[in-house]
Amino acid sequence: MTVQTDPERTESKFLQRYTDFTGKRVLEIGCGDGRLTWQYAKSAGLVTGIDLHGDDLRVATIDRPSDLEQQVSFARADSIHLPFQKESFDIAILAWSF
Amino acid sequence: MVHALNEIRRVLVKGGSLIDLRPLLDRWPIEVSSNGENREVGRATDLPGPLADDGAANQAMAESEHRGWFLRERQDIFPFFYYWDTPREMQEHIDETWNDVIQIEDDLWSSLRSSWATANADARVRIRLKMMITSLHKKNSFK
Repeated sequence: MTVQTDPERTESKFLQRYTDFTGKRVLEIGCGDGRLTWQYAKSAGLVTGIDLHGDDLRVATIDRPSDLEQQVSFARADSIHLPFQKESFDIAILAWSF
Repeated sequence: MVHALNEIRRVLVKGGSLIDLRPLLDRWPIEVSSNGENREVGRATDLPGPLADDGAANQAMAESEHRGWFLRERQDIFPFFYYWDTPREMQEHIDETWNDVIQIEDDLWSSLRSSWATANADARVRIRLKMMITSLHKKNSFK
C-alpha cells in the first residue's frame, strides 16, 4: 500500500514561514515517526521529539540521518508531564497532537 | 489540555514560540486527481468524538490566552493532501488508521471507484485535510 503525504510540501512551507528555526532549541510534541521533524531539523539547533507511541519513535530513530544524530533526539513522554527543566526550549511545536 | 499548555509554557523561554499545527475535521473532500485536474466526488463524514476533541483543543488554546500565558500572533488554514494510486489503497489506509476519526459511506466508495476507473490512466485518489497553523508566544516567565 502506497500513500503519498503532502507532496506539495504545503505544511513545511507554512511551518518555515511561521518561525525561524535557525539555531533554536525545539521541542516537538507528537513527533510520531519524525515525518515533520525532518522538514526543519537541519536548520534548527537542537531538536527533541516526544511521543507516546514507542513504535513510531523507533521508526523515527531508525530514519534519523547520520548527520543529525547529535542534533535530534527522541523520547517517550507525555505532554502533561514534560521531563525537561524550565525554560529549556525556544520553540515548541504541537504536531497534530491535540 | 490546559495542563499540557501550562507544561509547555514552563519549558519555553520567555518570549518563546508555540506552534499549534493540526488538522480540523470539516467533512474532508474526497477527490480524483488526473491530468492536473481534481474533481470532488464526495465528502467524508466526521465522527462525533474527534469533532468534540477539535472543539476542546480550540477551547484550551483560548483558555491559555485568557490566562495570559500565550499571545496569539497569527493563524492560517491550508490544505493538506494524502494521495493513493487506487481507491482500494485509500480504503485500506482509512480503515486502518482513521476509522475512529472519519467515516466514508459505501455509496461514496462506489462513486469514487467509478470516477477513478473512468479517468485517465494517471488518475489517483486523494483526501483534502483542512489544516490549521497557529503561532503564539509566551508572555511571562514561569513561576
